[in-house]
Amino acid sequence: MTYPDPDDPAHPARPSVRPFLQSGPLPAGGYRPTHTDEQPPATEQTTALRPFVITSGRTDGADPDIGMETQVTASPGAGPVRLSPEMRAIVGLCFEPVSVAEISARLRLHLGVTRILVGDLRAAGQLDVHVLNNETPDPETIMRVIRGLRAIT
Amino acid sequence: MDFEQSPDRVVGTAAVSSGGRPKKAPVPVKIIVAGGFGVGKTTTVGAISEISPLTTEAEMTSASVGIDNPGQATMKTTTTIAMDFGVLTIDQTLKLYIFGTPGQSRFAFMWDDLIKGALGALVVVDTNRIDDCYPAVDYFERAGLPFVVGVNTFNGQMSYSLDEVRWALAIREDVPVLSFDARFRGSVRDALLVVLDQALDKAIRQKS
Repeated sequence: MTYPDPDDPAHPARPSVRPFLQSGPLPAGGYRPTHTDEQPPATEQTTALRPFVITSGRTDGADPDIGMETQVTASPGAGPVRLSPEMRAIVGLCFEPVSVAEISARLRLHLGVTRILVGDLRAAGQLDVHVLNNETPDPETIMRVIRGLRAIT
Repeated sequence: MDFEQSPDRVVGTAAVSSGGRPKKAPVPVKIIVAGGFGVGKTTTVGAISEISPLTTEAEMTSASVGIDNPGQATMKTTTTIAMDFGVLTIDQTLKLYIFGTPGQSRFAFMWDDLIKGALGALVVVDTNRIDDCYPAVDYFERAGLPFVVGVNTFNGQMSYSLDEVRWALAIREDVPVLSFDARFRGSVRDALLVVLDQALDKAIRQKS
């Protein structure tokens, strides 16, 4: 999977296309809605699910508490449940604290999709999401970062 | 054998597994690295990060008026962009994330999400294309996020002096303008320390 160059100005913005439709493997010419009872040809192999399929079509509704750097861990008391492969992969990464952005990057899941799935797993009791109670960083924390940075060579 | 049934041993293993596994999650803090095309954002992130920079895809939506077709109605555009980021573990309980983000104004709306809780920003500037960083400077000024303008010197060469850059950007006197080399860890570290200095000033001002 290749990522578009973040600096590439030529990366086309397709108007009026829902965001999650854009990052999936699209046929040439963009997204075309197909008739519902039309079956895809059996020979056609899809290599990856379109991201919105994983979230059951949801493109919105990610918890605003779940930021890119928010730390996530597997819930120690979580019971065994049936999870989708993507959700299983997420829980599998969280045996030690990991950020939402890292989950997204390591599993090559769209950031928006990752946020929604992490929210779902949190609601299901599978993940602990460590939400910070103070949003603005306090001077002591900044001092610690400064000391830590000074220490590196 | 005797020792296999020893309760001490069983308790011991249990203690190790339960004490060792659920590590306390560190507090994450973040700094934004912003700038125009190819100014060295990813190089900056890579120089300071302890892991090789990771990429995450995020979707962007923004309302834009068709510039080419002024007669047309306002249209909503969406696009997927890639964001590079790196991590620096300060200690067991504190992790610094550095997010490199495209600086085009059409992505500005997504910065609202990104700068939430951020300590500050480093705006990377290439003196050959100073205007590339205008949207980032505008945005951080308006958002009240502490920021520093860092001129990436590439080969130690700058087409303009720092004073000229400051003049061209028309930024406030208290916004530091510095030069750094995105390829070197020490240089990036020093630039980030200036960002943190600004962040500390703001945090102290807010507290008092």
